[in-house]
Amino acid sequence: MRAQIFVFALSIVICAKAQAELKWEQTTIELHPTPADKQAIGHFKYQNTGDKSVHFKSVRTSCGCTAAQTQKDEVPPGDKGEITATFNIGDRTGTQVKTVTVETDDPASTTSVLTLKAVIPQQLAITPTFVFWQQGEAPNRKTIGVSAAKDFPVKHLKVASSSPDFEAKVSEAGNGQFKISVQPKDTKQPIAATLTIQPEGSPKTFYATARVTTAPAINSR
Amino acid sequence: MKSALVCQTLVLAALALVPGIGEALYFHDKISWRSSIPASEMVSVEQARAWGDSAIWVDARPDEDFAHDHVPGAFSLNEDRWNALLPQFLAAWSPSKKVVVYCSSLNCNASREVARRLRDEAQLKNVFVLEGGWEEWLKKK
Repeated sequence: MRAQIFVFALSIVICAKAQAELKWEQTTIELHPTPADKQAIGHFKYQNTGDKSVHFKSVRTSCGCTAAQTQKDEVPPGDKGEITATFNIGDRTGTQVKTVTVETDDPASTTSVLTLKAVIPQQLAITPTFVFWQQGEAPNRKTIGVSAAKDFPVKHLKVASSSPDFEAKVSEAGNGQFKISVQPKDTKQPIAATLTIQPEGSPKTFYATARVTTAPAINSR
Repeated sequence: MKSALVCQTLVLAALALVPGIGEALYFHDKISWRSSIPASEMVSVEQARAWGDSAIWVDARPDEDFAHDHVPGAFSLNEDRWNALLPQFLAAWSPSKKVVVYCSSLNCNASREVARRLRDEAQLKNVFVLEGGWEEWLKKK
């Protein structure tokens, strides 16, 4: 019984030693892009610590929004390199976790999963981003709440409606809190408008939508 | 003989638990790349199809994939161009419709994120994620 356990443990140790050929400096990278950044780029550095060359068979990403590139297909013994993962931020917000799956011909460690975590600052929390009225409903005002992040002080906010059919007014509640009051001129026919929300001094623009729908509303605000 | 076998099995099971416990400890504060979603917010291809015209389909895949092919009548709404695409979708949305969001396959996360934003940010109700995504829809075409 002891011999069996010893053999089992030894096999684990041997496997662990063999897996160390392509050694990653880190397999998880956390990035904090600025609001102006369009991409977040992570550099996953590695070294071949084994005594034979390692070849990359495939590099796959978990999302179409992320691209990964190897510098070379073959990594000779002792050689260093990196895999560059480029995450296109687009209109994403909050914490984004994307993975890069790397397959090599190293039989002891064929697959490595690299994790790119991007914490995208959410400058403004807008709730809700959509207000609507049922056709024929009383054209009462509805409110959109806007809250600025602590590290993104906003003193003033400008709001513009893309259509004269909707009126939008901003009121400041202090501490980076605002209320946008939206009202349609009437609800006789389906109409829509995009509300452009512009914090003072920020290059970034935010949006909300207002609409009079044709069908009965199931949730009123 | 029997007790030795049981003993060996237990030892092996205990050894097998070691990496699992290690992973649980190491990843306990790590975020999964795939958002969790309650079963009640998932819908199968058959169910979604049965909804007929009362369903509005949302394609959460990148623009190129949508341009290549998509569910007939679906709206493109991805997070690459969320601000530009959302008004087009909302213009077609109506409160009586069920929203079915899909991405490329069972393993993609885009549909979950788009569904979450529609629920949390736009505060829409009846938003569902298609099980198996576009791949499953193609299989049952």
